[in-house]
Amino acid sequence: MYEGTNFYYDRKYAIFNQVFIMGLLLKGITLPKRLLAQSLTLIELPPPQKVILPLKQYVGEPSKAMVSVGDSVKTGQLIADAHNTHCLPVHATISGTVTDIKEHLDPKGSSIESICIESDGTDTWTTPPASPGESLGYEDILKRIHDAGLITKGLFATPLDKDLVPVDQPKTYLYRDGTDIVKKIDTLLINGLDPEPSLGVNRYLAGTENDTLEQGIAVLKTITGAQRVIFTVDKHFAPWPQLKDIVKKDEEEATAIIALDGRRFPIALPIPLVKAALSREVPLPYGHPRDVGVAVYDLHTVISLGQSIRNTTPQTETMITLGGGAMEKKGIAKVRIGTTIGSLIDALGGLTTDAAKIILGGPMTGMAQYDLATPITKEVTGLFALNNTDIQLSEDYRECINCGMCVKVCPVNLLPGVISLYCAKDKFDLAEAEGLFSCIECGACDYVCPSRRPLVHLFRHAKNQLME
Amino acid sequence: MEPRNYIVSMSPHIRGRQSIETMMSTFIIGLIPTALAAIYLFGIKSLIIMVLSMATAVIVEAVIERITHQKPTFRDCHALLIGLLLALILPSSVPWWMPVVGATVAIVLGKALFGGLGNYPFNPVLVAWVVLRLSWPERMNLFFEPHTTTHILTPLMAFKEDPSLFYSYDLSSLFLGQKPGLMGTVCDLAILIGALFILYRGVIRWHIPLSFFAGIAFFAAVLRYINPDVYPPVTFHLIGGGVFLAAFFLAPEPVTSPVTPKGMITFGFLAGILTMIIRMWGAFPDGSFYAILIMNSATPLFNYLKPKAYGRSYSA
Repeated sequence: MYEGTNFYYDRKYAIFNQVFIMGLLLKGITLPKRLLAQSLTLIELPPPQKVILPLKQYVGEPSKAMVSVGDSVKTGQLIADAHNTHCLPVHATISGTVTDIKEHLDPKGSSIESICIESDGTDTWTTPPASPGESLGYEDILKRIHDAGLITKGLFATPLDKDLVPVDQPKTYLYRDGTDIVKKIDTLLINGLDPEPSLGVNRYLAGTENDTLEQGIAVLKTITGAQRVIFTVDKHFAPWPQLKDIVKKDEEEATAIIALDGRRFPIALPIPLVKAALSREVPLPYGHPRDVGVAVYDLHTVISLGQSIRNTTPQTETMITLGGGAMEKKGIAKVRIGTTIGSLIDALGGLTTDAAKIILGGPMTGMAQYDLATPITKEVTGLFALNNTDIQLSEDYRECINCGMCVKVCPVNLLPGVISLYCAKDKFDLAEAEGLFSCIECGACDYVCPSRRPLVHLFRHAKNQLME
Repeated sequence: MEPRNYIVSMSPHIRGRQSIETMMSTFIIGLIPTALAAIYLFGIKSLIIMVLSMATAVIVEAVIERITHQKPTFRDCHALLIGLLLALILPSSVPWWMPVVGATVAIVLGKALFGGLGNYPFNPVLVAWVVLRLSWPERMNLFFEPHTTTHILTPLMAFKEDPSLFYSYDLSSLFLGQKPGLMGTVCDLAILIGALFILYRGVIRWHIPLSFFAGIAFFAAVLRYINPDVYPPVTFHLIGGGVFLAAFFLAPEPVTSPVTPKGMITFGFLAGILTMIIRMWGAFPDGSFYAILIMNSATPLFNYLKPKAYGRSYSA
């Protein structure tokens, strides 16, 4: 039990911690150099001519459109209302006229009702609501986060206000001696690493000065009730001037930086990250870092949170990583939400002729896209254009040769090869008994498999079959 | 941006360079020092045996795949590896038809009948070796002194005849290969060089070789402690026979060895103990090949020794 302990996080403990988790550090994979995020430079882009704004950019329910075709809107104007707690408001990200409201493809491959806006070229902002008072209450902050339309990043993004105060809180756990305990969040883990080594937004932000970071941290501490803050950073991208300042300024010594090897994958996905930084194992399956008292948020999320609290402006931009062998210009870009892939690639100077695969997200966990009219939504972390040398298809996969490479790399200690054999033979109940639902679908086993078996594909298929 | 056709598939969209081809060819490269040492010590005849064995293995596999209408798999180098490994565990005195028979048995009985690479329960090389050893025991027991054609007993056979003989062997020359024996098992230095290469390339892992050595060393040390006059030192057992080749190239064979770290360590350790039991009280001078073959049959059991389930033993 670590509840209520006055935690002093010093360097000695950090070193001990690093030794303790050697087992985990040896798990996972190291990506080849050509796929690591290397040039972390910010690319400036003009606002796009046209945006497509899906009314659902998270796991939840779609919101209701408030505008009709032909209306003129300004940047930052509310165009879709959140009619219940499972949805978020949508704001116009450019100024112009609403040209269409129709079903449109979103990055996850489903059809969602979307608002299309044609730009008038001026990008005039609507006047934001009145500036906040000096002291914001708990409810005010949550309402502000909700109104700004913030989400947690990633494939299974949820509205940030729902993630901060989940419906089923407080959850009780049975302790070993039979007593119920209420799990409180005691640690705020701010992830300066990117979910994948190929992405670079958080690492870029960790090396720059952001005036809203401290406010974001303060707000998150207030809401979650965490006493200490831990930054995880990539040791290959030192220094982190602002983070060091924050640690120095903290007189209670409840702030620390933990440098991890950002070239490893999947060390920066939330569940392995909690283990690597704090030696706490999130209960699987169906576990969440908050079950072990940790709130994990990306640096990018924290900074946009601070922005929305200070300026009362909604989120109209997101930062994504651009990369892949077929991309002419690589780096970090600030893009308006709703920009289509095609127009973004055009603004970046196009693709090389051997482009074979377009991915939203990183190359290990992202989603392959077939339509260049797909918009970039809030969930998207990166845009990758891979060429034929980068991709390896598993159409000619061989039988499992029982080599154990997948067991070596699996971050959650499963036997992926055995589970995949069950999945391939439709023995889904046996696969579940082997821990199928503990799989976090990081794809490390797929990456190393010498027989090139499509392991993650089989796992997802089995999960879908079992859930039906 | 003109529309184009793009590939859509599940993540991950990138893959490592490791494939069955690279894995098997790494094994073959790791065996090259051993093969060169065998040619140096036993002359050009050992090269002929290796070529015969490898050629037979590849041809037999191609014929079987032709008959059963399967895709040809000679590209993955596995038949080549079986042929080479089989040749290396034959004595240099065998007639030309023995590697041919052995390679045919290895491919047909050891591999193809079970459904090819990935499905066989026993190491095909050892299956073929056991068939040869039981069918022609006198031919498989005829060893040459290196660089000569005088017949001589191997250290372990001599030890079996008279336990006090182990004092007459110089351990460093045993390690460098100045001993009679199976072609690929005599020069432990060459095996070690190749083994370090395959360990570095990540094709095999340290668990099985190390625990195999540990099993032998543990058992030998206990015996040595009980009676130092009768039982030889640990090093004699480690380098006197085919332990190095067995530990690095036969026991960690991917298909027939366990996949979990705990399973691999138990597998290796028990195989080491079994080797010593056969050496001490069994009918054969060197038990390491039999020990591995017996442990292969228990591999599915060792896979039950799973790593600690993540987040299951969670407490507060």
